[in-house]
Amino acid sequence: MKVGFPRAVYYYDYFPFWAGFFESLNLELVASPLTNRRIMESGLKKASDETCLPIKILAGHIQALKDVDALFLPRMVSTEEQTYLCPKLLGLPESIFPAVPQGMPVLTVNFNRRLGKRRLLAELEHFGASLGKSRVEVHRAFELGGEWQERFEKSRLKGLSFAESMEEFDPVVRPKRRKAEEGSQNLASATVRGKEPPAREGQGAEVTGREVTEQEVVGRGGSDRGVAEREVVGREVTERKVVGGEVTNRKVAGREAAGREPTGNTPEERKEPSLTIALVGHSYLTQETYANLNLLGRLQSQATVRLVEEVEAGRIAEGLRSQRKALFWSHARKILGAGSFFSRGDEVDGIIYLSCFGCGTDSITQDLLARVARREHKPYMVLTLDEHSGEAGLVTRLEAFLDMTERRVRRESDVSAHG
Amino acid sequence: MKVTFPHMGNAWIVIQALFEALDVEVVVPPPTGKGTLNLGTKLAPESACLPLKINLGNYIEAAAKGADTIVITGGTGPCRFGFYGESERQILADAGYDFEVVILEPPDGSLWGLAQRIRYLAGSKNSWARIVGAVRFAYEKSVVLDQVEDLVHAARPRFGDAVAAEKLYAKARQHLIEGTSYTSLHQVPLRLAQAIRDHQAAGGSGDKEPLRVGIVGEIYTILEPFASLDVEQQLGALGVEVDRSIYLSGWVGQHVFRGLAQGYRPLRAYPRLAKPYLGHFVGGHGLETVGAAVNFARRGFDGIIQLLPLGCMPEIVAAGILPRIQADFSIPIMTLTLDEHTGRAGLQTRVEAFVDLLERRKSGRLKRGSVLSVAGK
Ligand code: SF4
Ligand code: SF4
Repeated sequence: MKVGFPRAVYYYDYFPFWAGFFESLNLELVASPLTNRRIMESGLKKASDETCLPIKILAGHIQALKDVDALFLPRMVSTEEQTYLCPKLLGLPESIFPAVPQGMPVLTVNFNRRLGKRRLLAELEHFGASLGKSRVEVHRAFELGGEWQERFEKSRLKGLSFAESMEEFDPVVRPKRRKAEEGSQNLASATVRGKEPPAREGQGAEVTGREVTEQEVVGRGGSDRGVAEREVVGREVTERKVVGGEVTNRKVAGREAAGREPTGNTPEERKEPSLTIALVGHSYLTQETYANLNLLGRLQSQATVRLVEEVEAGRIAEGLRSQRKALFWSHARKILGAGSFFSRGDEVDGIIYLSCFGCGTDSITQDLLARVARREHKPYMVLTLDEHSGEAGLVTRLEAFLDMTERRVRRESDVSAHG
Repeated sequence: MKVTFPHMGNAWIVIQALFEALDVEVVVPPPTGKGTLNLGTKLAPESACLPLKINLGNYIEAAAKGADTIVITGGTGPCRFGFYGESERQILADAGYDFEVVILEPPDGSLWGLAQRIRYLAGSKNSWARIVGAVRFAYEKSVVLDQVEDLVHAARPRFGDAVAAEKLYAKARQHLIEGTSYTSLHQVPLRLAQAIRDHQAAGGSGDKEPLRVGIVGEIYTILEPFASLDVEQQLGALGVEVDRSIYLSGWVGQHVFRGLAQGYRPLRAYPRLAKPYLGHFVGGHGLETVGAAVNFARRGFDGIIQLLPLGCMPEIVAAGILPRIQADFSIPIMTLTLDEHTGRAGLQTRVEAFVDLLERRKSGRLKRGSVLSVAGK
């Protein structure tokens, strides 16, 4: 049986668990294609106007899963004992049924760590039984899922990119190689994995060995004007990104070794990323290249970027210490904790909170973090995405923020050099 | 210590009674109005939900009357309301309002924690027996209040003129505020019912059976007429009898007393009713909205209106499910989205159109089961 998993919301944080779980049960779990224009548009059509962008994208991905025997839409209630995920995820799958194609079976199970491992396992056993799997098989699947998930999270903590960390669990995701291993390596690794990524329009463009992300390849295959425009921008960004990515990786390594970041802020170095910017927000926004107009790539071409997923639990807890009451959403806790940690230290020069219209949890979190950042005098900007977000607006705001941050950094280093 | 609290419809009557019985000095915020909302909107994050904005406005207006301590209930999620207290504290502190915020919540889900916070507010001058007595009496008041509101829901459409019903309502509310004994409390709904009968007997009522509309949705917007732009009153004036998914005492029973008390309209049955459509709670009252919609549909109501504060997560989940109930039971369901920009005129037009549709359906000009798409915007 081939089971489809939508590449949206919880995919970005929890897919490795489910990939391992299904793998162990000998069921094929495939994620939908990378987000593209068609997916976005069909999502907007099927999801309610009121809801947030990620849920609209989810509706699109559900419709994009065509050649599968069933959809898997778990109800992820909580992944930690003390927290919840967002109410909108608690409302899955029922609230997204309008987007499910007629006649497509939906598999679902409650994943709720608050109830303790025993009851979670009981739920999973029940689910396994409906698929004809024994208790023992389900327990084994739970273990493997856990291992895969841990591997993924550790890889993110080490500072490897989302794509690098996800690659082994989802062959569709392929990281851009660094210069040294460019070209043949890129293709080789695809074959080594044995699984061919699903054929897709625009595949030809990719074989040139150029550093093009899948995302942009898909965009190129599209058919109308909007896409063509995107292509140009996309390519330009990609090329810049190669340089940026290089430097980024080197910088991260350097900092780890020296424990301290090099501080070169002379105007000549302007083109090199001299700034370090934290990009915080839900992973399904920061890593959703299509919806965020490649914000992460753009940022990486101009600055060293730190992400929430790279911050260890201890530092998140430390960051949260100034809050009198604990936030009860997993993601919000991590975002606020990491964001507060970034605000306090001098590792990052500024913080960008990527949010989206209609996000209920962000309305609280982004405000709490703004207050922390203000107290710590850390430059802070909220970027709010919606389905109509345009490149121009995004670029302008990004540039303005980076300029402002850079001026501040330079002024501060002047002060400290002379004072 | 001068305690204040956010307005939520008539809840202030109950809260004031509680604190006064304990000799705690209490500042009831001025009635919520446009100015209140404007104050709150200025301080609140733009994408915060409507209740938070109104709460903030209430506090600021109460501060002007000398309040220095806020009491609000809490929760552990997953809806935003559970974080209101802390969020509001920070917003107010940064804006220069130095409030103490006491969050009445059972931190570990136990009533003991709740009791301790009430104890803190009540101070050592009160014995436990007195505290328990005061809480019980306040709770009783909330049940009676709900009976009064329900009677008014029935009276409005049956009275020829809208003013008469509101007058009786105001009078009953006054009696309730003044009631200090169980006997006097229990007199209130009896007297109101009698007054309604008298008015009808005097020929002050229309002759046809009114339409019935069930109101479901987010608790605050259901209970606070300012937030819903008096939708209940509007419906009443259009000759519609309304019922709600949640009344104050039901909410208090479930939310504050953890189900130990059930209130006037128990919420207990809703999850079971909702089950075929939504199998899990989603925070706030999303599950109750779905369950109540099924309940109203089964009871043969003519239509259902969902109140959804813009961006409200649990109600958005419910809104995604209501169309199925609409189709299965062939009952028109309309969702009203509310925020600080919602205009009275626009809302009224939609409510009138909805009632018009229900009337045509009832009089048979529109066949039952014909295509209905009144849900959504
Ligand atoms: S956390 Fe925000 S963006 Fe994510 S599902 Fe909930 S409302 Fe949508
Ligand atoms: S129920 Fe809705 S409106 Fe009320 S606090 Fe929760 S999210 Fe906000």
